[in-house]
Amino acid sequence: MHPKERRLGATRRDFLMRSGGAALALSGAGSFLAACSNSTTTGGGATSGGNPNANNPLGLPLARPNVPVTIPLYEQPIASGMKPETGGDFTIFNYPDYIDPAVMKAFGKKYGVTVKVTPFDDINSGITKLASGTVQPDVTEMTPDNIARVVAAKLIKPLNLDYIPNLQKNVWPSLVDPFYDKGSHYSVPYTVYTTGILYRTDFVKEDIPSLTPNPWDIFWQAQAYKGKTALLSEVRETIAMALLHRGDKDINTEDPAKINQAVKDLQELYNICNVKVGDLQYSTVAERKAYLNQAWSGDAISGYLFYADKESKQALRFWNPGNGNGPIQNDMWSICSTTKKPVLAHLWLNWILDNTQGYNNFLNYNGYQPPLTEVDPGQLVKKGILPETLSDTVLTAADLGPTSLQEMTLTTQGQQLWQNGYSQFLSGA
Amino acid sequence: MYPRWLWPAFALPGVVWLLILFVLPFYAVVGVAFGSVDPILLTAVPAWNPAQWNFGWVTQVLTELQPGGIYWDVFVRTLEYVLLSLAGCVLIGYPVAYYISRHASRTKSLLLILLVLPFWISYLMRMLAWINLLSPGGYAERFLSATHINDLLFHLGVVSDPNNYLGGESFTVIIALIYGYIPYFILPLYASLDRIDRSHLEAARDLGASPWRAFLHVTLPLSRTGLLGGAVLIVLPMFGDYYTPNIVSGAPTTSMIGNQIDLYFHGGPQPTIGAAITILLSLFLVLLMGYYMWTIHRASRDLPA
Amino acid sequence: MSQAVATGRTTTQEFSTWRRLRGWVGNPWGKPRFLVVITWTYIVWSIAPVLVAIQFSFNDSRSLTVWHGFTTKWYTSTSPAINSVFHDPGLRGALQQSMKLAFLDVVIATPIGVLLALGLARWRGRGSGGANFLMLFPLVTPEIVMGVSLLLLFSHLLTVVPFGTPAQVLGHVTFSISYVVVIVRGRLFSIGRSYEEAAADLGAAPAVALYRVLFPLLLPAIVASAAIVFAISIDDFVISQWLSNGANTTTVPMTIYNATRATPQPSTDGIATVIMVITLAAVIGGVLVFRFFTRGEGGRGSAIDDVAGFGI
Repeated sequence: MHPKERRLGATRRDFLMRSGGAALALSGAGSFLAACSNSTTTGGGATSGGNPNANNPLGLPLARPNVPVTIPLYEQPIASGMKPETGGDFTIFNYPDYIDPAVMKAFGKKYGVTVKVTPFDDINSGITKLASGTVQPDVTEMTPDNIARVVAAKLIKPLNLDYIPNLQKNVWPSLVDPFYDKGSHYSVPYTVYTTGILYRTDFVKEDIPSLTPNPWDIFWQAQAYKGKTALLSEVRETIAMALLHRGDKDINTEDPAKINQAVKDLQELYNICNVKVGDLQYSTVAERKAYLNQAWSGDAISGYLFYADKESKQALRFWNPGNGNGPIQNDMWSICSTTKKPVLAHLWLNWILDNTQGYNNFLNYNGYQPPLTEVDPGQLVKKGILPETLSDTVLTAADLGPTSLQEMTLTTQGQQLWQNGYSQFLSGA
Repeated sequence: MYPRWLWPAFALPGVVWLLILFVLPFYAVVGVAFGSVDPILLTAVPAWNPAQWNFGWVTQVLTELQPGGIYWDVFVRTLEYVLLSLAGCVLIGYPVAYYISRHASRTKSLLLILLVLPFWISYLMRMLAWINLLSPGGYAERFLSATHINDLLFHLGVVSDPNNYLGGESFTVIIALIYGYIPYFILPLYASLDRIDRSHLEAARDLGASPWRAFLHVTLPLSRTGLLGGAVLIVLPMFGDYYTPNIVSGAPTTSMIGNQIDLYFHGGPQPTIGAAITILLSLFLVLLMGYYMWTIHRASRDLPA
Repeated sequence: MSQAVATGRTTTQEFSTWRRLRGWVGNPWGKPRFLVVITWTYIVWSIAPVLVAIQFSFNDSRSLTVWHGFTTKWYTSTSPAINSVFHDPGLRGALQQSMKLAFLDVVIATPIGVLLALGLARWRGRGSGGANFLMLFPLVTPEIVMGVSLLLLFSHLLTVVPFGTPAQVLGHVTFSISYVVVIVRGRLFSIGRSYEEAAADLGAAPAVALYRVLFPLLLPAIVASAAIVFAISIDDFVISQWLSNGANTTTVPMTIYNATRATPQPSTDGIATVIMVITLAAVIGGVLVFRFFTRGEGGRGSAIDDVAGFGI
């Protein structure tokens, strides 16, 4: 679910839980949280079915591409027209190596601050650290499935969009006013990526995009690529892929029967292709360690740009399932409640949506594209940055919308169900 | 000559350290395993008071630890890997330790240095070295192909693909485990073999025992503590391994119990299950350790050496 | 064997091979060619892969399997396209973090371990048995169990300890103390108490006997255990990983692990080589010091025996 984690390699650690931090967050979360804080999960695993009426910690429905949610303001954003703060440090809370140092340096130079990165291993441990107060950054990376609980714990501040004109000006319309945060009260988008199939034509003979009924089926026909086939080692992505393979597009389901079937399907892959799991596809595919992969579009691009040799560049292909057929996710930026430079923090959010900065960050460093109208697959091919064969990896505004599939927040029981399903798949039996 | 309080006082810092940073942490694991999860932050909320323990997580793990359950299958595989690796370590390690302790008088120092050397080289570096060798085109891969050992392994059913050792083969994982852990096995074994007094053997021979019988009835029993010590030093840590299969395979079909623990601590709403598996694994290992202690105790009573 | 088949002497050859084999295994004074072969095969098997890894850290190509000629660029290049060991911020940072942890581990674990060894060897009161027993467990506890338990300790009980270097150091010291104890206690038993008693008979105060007599006698074991602590700290992967705090506290084994799961490069071999050279230098230094102090004591007191002797 979080491709940034690949930058660290495989050392993700979702869990740095501090009870002190939890208490702090809860006490700060206001009265509407009181009910939740009493109802801690008490084990025994998830047995109940999906709950379409489930609520997030704010008492709002769980956001879905077709169920937009407006997160109310718990306080007024800062007033318009103030001057940015200068001097001292400006701290960015982010995945390691997930933003071009040149982009940060230029920002610091323009506003007279020293830009620093405090890295986290993954978004969950990042949120825990924010809650515990062990870090006090100015801005933070965020993801749509976490935003409601982060607002519930008052870890991020509401935005004043007057400071962020680039949002209206440069960003895809579907993310100016996204379903998970209508009105962009708390976030602006950062990168966008879809999950597809990354493969090498010098080894994989099938024409994957034209497979019927479903290109995902290739994994169940991969006998020839035994030991060279890999899935993402992500609870949500792996099981969602198996659901899609059956033509089930409800990738936020909490129906145990569906999850069980998906896991059974995944277990068939042991014998078919002795499937591997991992998050490092951008590298393994470029180095011929794996021929056939479930992978993120950003992996295809960074694999091509930063890892592949000449031969691999010609052989790499990515199948993009397209709107409504494959999971599509995006990352965001938000302003931390701990910031002492709120105006400058707004300007950072604007900075990252600047066409030049966003473009450079994408192609010089990150490989994960910003949702900027400026980034156009046709143009990238024309300029010779990406080959025609990989133009499919670059998403456009049309890939998002009410019909798109996004792995979004589940209830706690739903998350248990999915995790236990993945555990069963990982058991290899 | 020394004041009586001196030695306990010397021991105090170390004992306190181990109590706080070795024993107390287990209580933290217990608290989490019997606790609950915060619904918003998805963090564990430990239950420190046994009266408030929630047995749901441990029960869930125990249910899956029965034949047919998720953890049962992984545990059985882990057990297989550990036992096969131990067998490999004994088959390779015993002759080597025996030879160096008994025979190589002139080259003994050199051999000892070479024997100890891998002990000082990082485990991860030695794994990395094997990855390089076993990759397609690597020296070991080419050697096995040229000698047709790869075909032999394939026909014996040891590997499922004669040209892709890193494609998720149990064989590769076991070889890697042997390679990684054997230095820790050989050294204590060597030490115990080296300690055996030659006069015992001479006596056995003088009394008419054949070389085989002398080995079976004198050398082997006298090296038993070393064998057991070496076995404990590698078997217990191997039960918690997860990185070796990750490095040389990466396939679910070669995952070990440690991979499950790793999973539950990497995000998601159930660090409690990770803690519960950790507790049960520790209990199992304590039983093994207890058995070892009991054997050693009995051995020292039977054989006052 | 195949030659024997070709020359038609199969049966006698096999028969005598079997007999000789039995003889080699069974007769400790016979010519043990079978054992020679196994031993040297094992030694080549255990060391050759590492030598190959070192070789490929000097490969003039990104390949780790095909040799393209000699270069030192994976160590020294300043080109941004090459993540050289000494100039890539990630690799250099990992090297520094590993050295920092190992240094702090040695400085903290050695004195605590030496005192504990003395205490455990001579304290005969209540609780000494339990302490002796407790000390053994860190030697055999799987690292993931220790990693999980320390993670939860620092998350829920000792929340004052931040993850990253402080937590990592505490973790390293915890698994190092027992090694120091085993080595120093072994040495204590081998020197016995006669020197101290003689000193006391000559009128030395306890503090003097301790400091002037026992300490110098223990010094070689202290040096040896410091070398071992250094080595096991550098070697540690699991504890460092579970207690790390993101990229800033990545150690060399973590770097190697990450690279190995993706695609290792010659610079990965390079950083592994550097850390190996540093460890071996520390160990050889330790052995030399040990030898210097124990010269004239006869064969038994070699560092190797002490190392080998930690089989509980």
